[in-house]
Amino acid sequence: MQYLLQLLISGLAIGAIYGLIAMGFAVIYKSTGLVNFAQGEMTMITAYIAWTISTTVSGNVVVVAFGAILAAILLGLVIERVVMRPMLGEPVFATVMVTIGLAVILRSAINFIWDAYPHGLDVGMGRDIVRLGGIGVRTGQIAVIATLLSLLAAIWAFFRYSKMGVAMRAVAADDRTALLMGISATRVHALAWAASSVIAGIGGVFFALSYDLSPAMFQLGLKAFPATILGGLDAVLGSGLGGLLIGITENLAGGYLGSGMKEIAGFAMIIVVLMIRPFGIFGERDIERV
Amino acid sequence: MRDHLRTASLLLTATLLAGGGALAADPGITDTEILIGDVEPLTGPPALLGVAASIGHKIAIAEANNAGGINGRKIKYVLEDDGYVTARTIQGAKKLIEVDKVFAMLGMSGSGQSIAVMPVLEKAGIPTVIDVAPVKLLWEPPRKNVFVVGQSYEEGIIHLVNYLAEKNPGKKWGLITQDDDYGITVRDGFDSVVKSKKLNVVYSGNYKKGQQDFSSDMLQLKDSGAEVFLAGGIIAENIAMMKELEKLNVKPVTGIFWPGRVEPVLKLMGPAGDGIFAVDYVEPFAGEAGKAFLEKAKPLVSEAEFKGINRYTMSGYAAAKVLIAAIERCGKQPTWACTIGELEKTKNVETGVMAPISFGPGIRFSNQKLQIMQADTATVSFKPVK
Amino acid sequence: MRTGDYKQTYGELVALIDSPPVWLWSAVLMLALIAAPHVLNAYALTFLMIILITVTGALGLNILTGYTGLISLGHVGFLVTGAYAYAILVSKYHMPPLVGFLGAGLVPALASLVVGAPSLRLKGLYLAITTLAFSFIINTVILEMRWLTNGARGISVQRPEILGISFDSDAAFTYLCLGIATLTLLATLNIRRSRVGRAFVAIRDNDTAARVMGINLHAYKLLAFVTSALITGLAGALYGIYLSFVSVEGFPFLLSIEALAILIVGGLGSALGAVLGTVLIVLLPEATRLVFSLFSAQLDAVFTTGAQELKSMLYGLVIILFLRFQPRGLVGAWHDIRRAWVNWPLRY
Repeated sequence: MQYLLQLLISGLAIGAIYGLIAMGFAVIYKSTGLVNFAQGEMTMITAYIAWTISTTVSGNVVVVAFGAILAAILLGLVIERVVMRPMLGEPVFATVMVTIGLAVILRSAINFIWDAYPHGLDVGMGRDIVRLGGIGVRTGQIAVIATLLSLLAAIWAFFRYSKMGVAMRAVAADDRTALLMGISATRVHALAWAASSVIAGIGGVFFALSYDLSPAMFQLGLKAFPATILGGLDAVLGSGLGGLLIGITENLAGGYLGSGMKEIAGFAMIIVVLMIRPFGIFGERDIERV
Repeated sequence: MRDHLRTASLLLTATLLAGGGALAADPGITDTEILIGDVEPLTGPPALLGVAASIGHKIAIAEANNAGGINGRKIKYVLEDDGYVTARTIQGAKKLIEVDKVFAMLGMSGSGQSIAVMPVLEKAGIPTVIDVAPVKLLWEPPRKNVFVVGQSYEEGIIHLVNYLAEKNPGKKWGLITQDDDYGITVRDGFDSVVKSKKLNVVYSGNYKKGQQDFSSDMLQLKDSGAEVFLAGGIIAENIAMMKELEKLNVKPVTGIFWPGRVEPVLKLMGPAGDGIFAVDYVEPFAGEAGKAFLEKAKPLVSEAEFKGINRYTMSGYAAAKVLIAAIERCGKQPTWACTIGELEKTKNVETGVMAPISFGPGIRFSNQKLQIMQADTATVSFKPVK
Repeated sequence: MRTGDYKQTYGELVALIDSPPVWLWSAVLMLALIAAPHVLNAYALTFLMIILITVTGALGLNILTGYTGLISLGHVGFLVTGAYAYAILVSKYHMPPLVGFLGAGLVPALASLVVGAPSLRLKGLYLAITTLAFSFIINTVILEMRWLTNGARGISVQRPEILGISFDSDAAFTYLCLGIATLTLLATLNIRRSRVGRAFVAIRDNDTAARVMGINLHAYKLLAFVTSALITGLAGALYGIYLSFVSVEGFPFLLSIEALAILIVGGLGSALGAVLGTVLIVLLPEATRLVFSLFSAQLDAVFTTGAQELKSMLYGLVIILFLRFQPRGLVGAWHDIRRAWVNWPLRY
């Protein structure tokens, strides 16, 4: 029982990180119709910036958190303005390809600006171990689960009640009609990129806190993308839950079937789920017109 | 149509003429220069080892050049990046041989890459000293022109496991390895000791390359009750494993292997990494020899490069020393045949960073002496175990 | 000089080569390619080999993604299956290389029936993710089936000897790649202008409409998968021979992305685009390297350890800028140039 609980807790902790990055994918897809192949790389950059702040400016957790969020917003806005906006109205494939090119640049930036060695993010907390009846958890892991859950609630409220949230849903549903209704698509896009960068960046910083920073961190994107698909590409909340689901599945498979199965279990589950629900668990079915 | 025909025939003649002027072979040596080539991963995460090895080569070359070069000729180092992609390693080697026309080769990237590049090197017959990834396929069967400085992964693991088994008799063992050729060689070495010493192995895991979360694997390890643990990860993996074990409140006697024996790892493992054992054939930086090496390197490299120094710098340095010494012994007019002959005659060459290096007729592998070291978190260093 | 296309019969419209200059230039290109191995040095020849092998693979993906509109993020899975099928048959069981190539086509084709099955129900990125899953699962299967595949140890592969002709030298092996790439190009062009090809395109443009027109979606989608996997598998065998060593490591996931990049940069849905895209993507790193080497002395002095990364950044930047100014890919650029040439001095 203790064994199972420990697996579940660890699964939730890593799943929450997948979930945050997956939400980053979904936010951009929902409001711009694009898959951002540079999501993992943007996450990594934010985490590295947080580390730089912690080593040069101050290791205070508040300073690092604010600095990282600010940096993530800036990163998202700059990428949207400089790289993505000129592609507005171009074929989707070309635009998605641009994000692949962006990923190449950001990945190289890590070794260029920082280095290839692993680094630890130290903000004075988050690394302590709490023991609850023989189950060990780091405080950072509890924090990331809590962050994911509160973000899920906040985002639900945002899309449901705020004017901008409704506008974003409108652009996603039909951008031409939305334009006619006086909603600025560029503003919505800019907001989406900034929000996506922040949400995923939070995941990246938590990853750096519980694990380490390394130039291989962009691979988190590759783990989170399936989570987005599982939850439904256009379902921001679903993607967050999809991340949790994949984290738990991986850990249960690793714990009971052996470590070789760990990395495949998530994919196997996705295939099964998609066979039953072809648009993800929470995704909306496209209605096509001929 | 006639226009097309005319343009086409002109183009064809031009290409044929351009091709006709192909150059004759050149051994990569001029009156003032000798070219030495190298292919390493210089981009992406594996740059950690590729850049470090290239810095080692640069130190040895700078040292030789400062002393007047090889019999008056300055050494020029030509470095190609392969990004750890096998196809690009092959291309890089061909470029160095065919376009840059280098005189000799060093380094040659990771294990899979150097195995794949073997046919190219063998066909060209260029003198080569490999130092980054010593694996058996590189010297078995021996190739006339390819020499390997180092020790095989299997032998390294056998040495480490034997040591740990002697210190911890009758204990339960756990092992985890990566699912690639590196992991397999680690496992082979481990298995051979398990058989000869009849070790009691209670956990044996296999993780996918690139895995970052080791919670379920380490929980299984804890559940199995293993008391001695061989962590077969490389860098980030070993750190993640040790921190996971700390979280689970277990501290088995742990051994790691040299590809992961870089000092920053200890800083990241924190107290969890204190006292772990490692095996290597190069000297630890905390020892006398290591300090002397850093002292020597400091004026020869840039500040950024100095920070990038790790154990691969030492193995790279030693290989370059051996190669340079062999070319030097060939006198005023070195040739490939002479260099290969002299490399073969390498006998107890001192490099200061590892035991003396020797090759011999039909022996293309230097079979370095191994030593056990132990991590000391307080000073963030590995110290030799007496 | 041609001034326009006046097609009067259906046959003229689907003809592969519709005018004498096209004949001439195709022949010139072919001759140049045949002469190339004797003209180029060994380094330049590696680019030609890689281009020819990659063209074969890209044309394979083009049938699935370009013609039929089914996105695959896991095509490297077929590549690695093909390479292993060849390596196991030839290196392990000492079969003749022709049997090896046959296996390299058939094994991925069979696997594609499994991979393609979800395509009957899934669309777009949801399908893409199942192909991605496939490529990861196939790697694990290869690593686990040690008795057959040597697991992570990999298998060494020799250059083949077919019907008494040795393809050991680089020049000879280039001819082998050239032969296979040319046959693949002819095959895909012919598929495109046949009933099957038109069905593929109909499915891409709108599968519901295609179904209404009487196209059997299940059969044609699976057929696209099978053809695509077969060709990609052949490319995998060639790539394995080129590497001389087949292991899971040699076929990283990034190859799947690169294959998609080739199609998009070339211009999606056209065989010409696949060819042009391959040439660009394969030569781009070399081009950036050349630009880079002009300044390498200064750069090396400033960024002693990070200089190489600048080169990769340049590569990414070129791709972004290219798509910014030519989002329809190289084929789009080619059409623009051709139109400008034909209509000059008029604009259209």
